[in-house]
Amino acid sequence: MLTRRTILQGIAAGAGTALGLGGSPLPLLASPSLTGVSKLPKRIIFFLQNQGFDPKTCIPTGVSGNCSLAGHTLPEPIQPLEPYKERLHIINGLHGQHTSPSHSAFFGALGGYRGGDGVAPRGSTIDYELSKTLPETLLPHLCIGMDSLENMKNKPTVATLSASGPDQPIFMYSNPNHLYQLLFGGISDGAIRKEFEARSYLLDQIQDQATQGGMHLPRAEQTRYQQFVTGFQDLNSLRQKLGEVSDHLSKFAPKVDEFYATPEHETDWHDRLLNLGISALASGITNTLTIGSGRGEIFGAWKGLGVEEQGHNLGHMDQPDNPIWIKIRQYNSRMLVKIMETLDNIPEGSGSMMDHTLIVYTSNNADKQHTSGANWPVMLLGNFDGAFKTGCFTQIEGKRPINSLYTTLLQTAGGQCERFNMSDGLARTFDTGNGVLGDILA
Amino acid sequence: MTIRGAKLICWSSDKNQLQHAIRFCISSLCIIFMLPCFASDRYFPGSVVPEDFESFAEPFLNAYCLDCHSGSEPEAGLSLDTLGATNEANATTWRSIWAQVSLQEMPPEEAEQPPVSDRLQFRDWVVHNLDATMKESGGFRAHRDPTKGNFVPHDLLFGTLPDNIEIQPTFSPARLWRVTPQEHITRLNELINTEPPYDASKPGLRTHGDEVPTNHGGELKLYFGTDRIIQWQGGTVAYATAVKSIPCVLSSAREHGFENYPDLYSVNSAEATQLLSTASDILHYMAYGPLSIAAPQQITDDPAAYFKKYVPGDNRGLPSSLVYSTKTVRPLTPVIAAIDTPSATDDCLREAVNYLFEALTFRPPQPSESDRYVSIVKESVHKLGQKDGAVLGLSAIFLDRDALFRPELVEHGTPDSFGRIMLQDWELGLAVNHALRYIKPDEALKRSVLTGAMRTRDDVEREVQRMLADDSIRKPRILQFFREYFDYDQGGYICKDTRSLDTTGIRGKTRARHYRSMFEASASTDRLIELILNEDRDVLRQLLTTQKVIVTKTDSEYFGQPRTKAARVTLPKEVKKAAEKQKLQEEAERNAWIAANPGKEPPKKKKRRQTSTINVYVEEAPFEGTDIFARVSHRSFGAGSLSPKRMLTQAPEGQRLGVLTHPSWLVSHSDAMDNHAIRRGRWIQERLLGGGLPDVPITVDAMLPDEPRKTLRERMEVTKQEYCWTCHQKMDPLGLPFEMYNHAGLFRTSELEQPVDTTGEIINSGDERLDGPVENALDLIQRLATSERAEQVFVRHAFRFWMGRNETMHDRVVLQNAHTAYKQSGGSMKALLTSLLTSDAFLYRKPEQNPSPQ
Repeated sequence: MLTRRTILQGIAAGAGTALGLGGSPLPLLASPSLTGVSKLPKRIIFFLQNQGFDPKTCIPTGVSGNCSLAGHTLPEPIQPLEPYKERLHIINGLHGQHTSPSHSAFFGALGGYRGGDGVAPRGSTIDYELSKTLPETLLPHLCIGMDSLENMKNKPTVATLSASGPDQPIFMYSNPNHLYQLLFGGISDGAIRKEFEARSYLLDQIQDQATQGGMHLPRAEQTRYQQFVTGFQDLNSLRQKLGEVSDHLSKFAPKVDEFYATPEHETDWHDRLLNLGISALASGITNTLTIGSGRGEIFGAWKGLGVEEQGHNLGHMDQPDNPIWIKIRQYNSRMLVKIMETLDNIPEGSGSMMDHTLIVYTSNNADKQHTSGANWPVMLLGNFDGAFKTGCFTQIEGKRPINSLYTTLLQTAGGQCERFNMSDGLARTFDTGNGVLGDILA
Repeated sequence: MTIRGAKLICWSSDKNQLQHAIRFCISSLCIIFMLPCFASDRYFPGSVVPEDFESFAEPFLNAYCLDCHSGSEPEAGLSLDTLGATNEANATTWRSIWAQVSLQEMPPEEAEQPPVSDRLQFRDWVVHNLDATMKESGGFRAHRDPTKGNFVPHDLLFGTLPDNIEIQPTFSPARLWRVTPQEHITRLNELINTEPPYDASKPGLRTHGDEVPTNHGGELKLYFGTDRIIQWQGGTVAYATAVKSIPCVLSSAREHGFENYPDLYSVNSAEATQLLSTASDILHYMAYGPLSIAAPQQITDDPAAYFKKYVPGDNRGLPSSLVYSTKTVRPLTPVIAAIDTPSATDDCLREAVNYLFEALTFRPPQPSESDRYVSIVKESVHKLGQKDGAVLGLSAIFLDRDALFRPELVEHGTPDSFGRIMLQDWELGLAVNHALRYIKPDEALKRSVLTGAMRTRDDVEREVQRMLADDSIRKPRILQFFREYFDYDQGGYICKDTRSLDTTGIRGKTRARHYRSMFEASASTDRLIELILNEDRDVLRQLLTTQKVIVTKTDSEYFGQPRTKAARVTLPKEVKKAAEKQKLQEEAERNAWIAANPGKEPPKKKKRRQTSTINVYVEEAPFEGTDIFARVSHRSFGAGSLSPKRMLTQAPEGQRLGVLTHPSWLVSHSDAMDNHAIRRGRWIQERLLGGGLPDVPITVDAMLPDEPRKTLRERMEVTKQEYCWTCHQKMDPLGLPFEMYNHAGLFRTSELEQPVDTTGEIINSGDERLDGPVENALDLIQRLATSERAEQVFVRHAFRFWMGRNETMHDRVVLQNAHTAYKQSGGSMKALLTSLLTSDAFLYRKPEQNPSPQ
C-alpha cells in the first residue's frame, strides 16, 4: 500500500539506487570542512573480486588462531598491503552456505541470502543499508563494475551485487565516460560536456511533461503521481546541487585522458573507474562505494596485467602460488592502497579521511569458484573511527554467517539490527551466535 | 519458522463463563437503557458521519465494548475506557477496532449485536477519523488493501440487507493505473522481438500477445536478439552472461495475492533513470539489430568460420562468443530511419515519434504531443548529432506519463444523475484492452475507438465477446488473474534448506534443479488452467477437482511418494537381488538358446535398467500421457533454458485433486523447512470461504517451537492458546489437511515414521452446510468445490482483479449479476468476465470523489 511514508522511502530509495541522491534539500557533502557539522562523516568501501578469495592467498604462513600480524609477512598476492599491515584485519571462518555461492552468490553475497544467476534480489544488500545509515551525502551509494572491455562497452550498466530491496537491483557503472558525466558533467568539456547538456535538457523537458501530466488529476491520485514527478525533480536537483559545488568538485575531478575514449585494455577503464570512485569519496559526495571486480559474475579479464587467460577458466585454477592470480590479487591490493593513500591525504577532524573509513575486501564467490561457502575470507582495512581491531588475524569460532559481519558493520555505522537479512528460523541452522562479531571489534 | 497467519490482539472468548454471563446481562441492560439512537434513519454505507467521539463513538464503545474492555482486568489486557478520539498515539488501537467491527468479530457472537446500520456507521466513522488523523502519513488506507477485501462481510454482498441500508449505482474512482512489471516488459519486448504468430496446432507454445514469462531463475528480463543466436561458445552460464538482457525496471511487491491495484504503485527516480538507460539500449537495437550488440563478423550463417577466424581462444561469457544469423527478424520500424539517416527530415522524425508513442502508450499521439516530442528530438539531434541525438530524444517517450500509467480520468463526458461519467473512446478502449491483454489494441478495437464505436455498454460487450471468442488474440491478463488468485507461482522463490529438502525425498540432481523445477511447475499449471478455460465449463470446480496434470519428467518425483525408512534400506537389496536373479535367468535362457541353435550367434542382450537409476527415496509417479506445450522464456540459459515440452496426464488416483494438491501450489505455500499450514489455511479461508483476518498484532512474536522430532501439527499446538485461537481456528484446521503432502509437494502417508494425521475442520464458515470435520485435503476440497459460497467468493476476487479495488456494498448488484452470469452459463469464465466488464463498476468513474470506503 502506498503511503506517504512509503512514497518518501521510495523517493529516497529510488534516488539512492539510481544516482544516490540524498533526500535533503541542501547539498550534503561528507566533509566536515564543507558541512561544518560536528559529527564526523564516515564512509565504507566494498571491494568484491569474483572467482573466490582463497584464504591461503591472504593468511600469512604460520598464523593460526587470533593473533597480531606483526612479525608476519603478508603472502605475495597481497604483498602491496605489507606497508599497511597495521591497518589490516584478516578474518577467516565466516560462512555463506545459505547463499548458494558456487560460481557466485550474486546479490546474496552482500545480501546474505540465497542468490543465483538471473535471480532477482530478495532484499536489500548491506552496502545499500549502510549508505542509508551513514551520515547523509549527496550521492550516498555509488557502484562501479569492472569486466572485460567488451562487456563494459556492450553492457555499461549491469546489476548483480547490490540492491535496495526485493526486486530492486542497483546498477553499477562500467563506462567511465558515463560516470564522469554524472559526477563531473557540469565542469567537463568536449564530448562529455555535450552529452551532459543534452541529457540535462532532456530531463528538464521530461520533468515539465510529467508535471503537466499531473495537473488535472483527481486529488486522490495526486500524491501517488507526485512520486513520479518528484523523481525527475530529484534527478534535476542533483545536477543542480552538483553544479552548486562545482568549484569544490573540480579539486577532485580526475583528468580526462585519451583512455576514457580509447582504452587499450580493460584495466585502463578499471583504473579510471577507480579514480572516479575515489573522487566521489574524497570530494565527500558519496559515503558508500561498491566495487565489483568481475561484476559479480564468473567471467572477467585482466589482459592489461599480462593475463591472457580470461573468463571462467580463471575460476577453475587454484589460486595459491598461481602467477595469474598473484597478478590479479596484487592489482586489487594496489587499488586498495590507492584508496587508502588518497584518503590519508585528506584531513578530516583531527586526522584524515581514512581514519573514518572502512574497506571491506572479499569475493562474491566465498573462497573459490566452485564452493559450498563453508569459508568466506574477508579483509578489513581501516578501523572505522576506532570501531574495529586492526593489524591482526581473527579465526571465527563457531558457525557464523557473513550476515553476522554485516550486522556488525551496520551496528558500528549506527544502525539497528540484530541479524542482517536472516530470520530466526534460518539462524537456527546457519548461525550459532547472535548479534555482532565481538572478536573483530576494538 | 515464522507464523505469518494473523492473530487477534485481544478479542478472545471468555475464560470465565459466569463472569461473562454477568457482563452479558449488564451489557444487555446498557443496550436497552443507554444506547444512543443509531438505527433510526436510512444509511448510505461509506458516508462521512458528521459526529465527534463524545456524541457518537463513545456511546457505541460504551454499549458494546467497555463492558469487557475496561476496569482493572480488561479482556486480553485491552482497556478502552480511556481511549478517546482518534489520535496518532491510539491509531493502532482504533485500527484494530475497525478490523474487529468490520469483520463482525466484535462484539462476540454470544453478546448483543448492534444493528447492521449502526455497525456500518461506526465503521465508517472510524475510517474517516483515522484518515484525518493519519493525513500527514498518507491517510488511512488499510481498507483499500487487497488483503482486506473480505472485510466487507459476505452476507452484506450476497444476502438480504436491512431496509434502512441504502445502496446507489456503483462506479470506480477516476485514476491512473501504473502498468505492472510484466505488462511493461511485454510492451518493450514488442519493440525488439518478433514473437511467432498463434499456431492452433500447438496452442501452448508462447506466441505473439502472450506475456514475457519469467526465466529459468524466476526473473523477468528482456532479451535482445536471442531469436537470432545460432551458436555460442560455452555452457549455460557463459551463454547467460554473454547474452544482452535487461531486468525489469518497474517494481512490484507481490508475494501472495493481488499485485496491481491502481492505489499501490508509482514510478520513482531510480526507475525513471533506469528506464532512460533501457530506452537507449532498445532504440539502438531497433535501429541496428544485433549489430548494436555484436561485431559485424558475428552476424553470419557460418558460425564455424567465425570461430575459426575470430575466436582462437576462450571467449566464454563475452558477447563475442555468440553468433547471430543473417536473417532479420526484429520489427522494422520508422525508428530506423530517424536514427540512421543523416540529417533526417522533420517528417521522418515525426513518423518515428508517432510510431514509438503509439507503441508505448497504445494510442496515437495528439498533434500537440507529437509536436512536443519532435521538438525534443530535434533539439537533441542539434546537440549530439543525428544518431546519438535521435536516440536520446526518442528516449523521452519511454517516460511519457501514459507509457507508464494508463489513465481513466474521464476528463471529457457528461455526468449522469449520480455524478458518474462513463469512460469513452481511448480510455474505454484501453480499459477493455487492458482487461485482457498486455499488447496494444488490435486493429478492430482501434477502429472501433477511432470511429466512435467505444462509447456504450453494448460496444464493450461486442469487443469483449469478440476477443474472448478468438484464441489467436492472446489474453494473458486472464491467466494472471488465476496466478494471483491461486498463488501457485511462488514455489521457485521459496528458499529451501538443503537438508530439509533432502528429507522430502527431493535429493541429488533433482534437488540441484529444485528451483528451476518449481518455475517449470508454474508454467505447467498455467497450461492446465488454460485447458480448463478452453472447456469453459464449471471452471472453478474443475480447477479444484481435476485429475488432469501437466508434467515434466522431473515431476514423476514431485508427484511421487517418499519411501519409508524401511523401504529405503530394503529396496536396494531387493533391487540388487532381483537384478542378479534376472541376470541368472537371462544367462540360462541364453545358454538354452545356444544349445537349441548350435553354431548361431545368440541375439544381443536387452538393456537392463541399472540399480543405480532406481530412486530409493521416492516411489515415482508412473506417468503416461500425450505431448503438450507450456510457455517458457526465450532461451535465457543456453542448454539449461526451460523447455516447453510437457505431458498431459492423470494424477495418481486418490492422492491428488485439483490445483491445490499440485506441487506448484503446495510449495508456494510452504517455507524453508516445512509445510506452511497457516498460509494454506489462510488461502482456503480467504479465497474460498470469504473470511477476513486481521493483521498480526505487532506485539506478537509469532514463532513455532523448534522441535525437529515433532510434527508440524504438534508444534502448532501453541496456536490453540486462547490468545491465538480466535484467529487461528480460521486457518489451522483448514491448512492441516494438506499435511498429506510434505513440503516439496510429495504425497505421504507417514511423517516421522508414524501415520500422518491429515484431519481438519471447517469452522464457522458462514454456510452451515460446509462446517464440520474433514478427513484430509481431498475431503476438504470436494466439499468446497460444490459450494455456492466458494463460487461467490471466487467472483468477488475476479471483481477485485478486474476493477483494481476492493468491493463495496454498493457493488452488490455487480457481484450478484456476475455470479448469476457464471452460474447460469454453467460456470463459464467468459460469461463471468463479460458481466464484470460491462458492469457499472468497470464503466463508470467519478472524477473527484473516491467511492465509499466499504
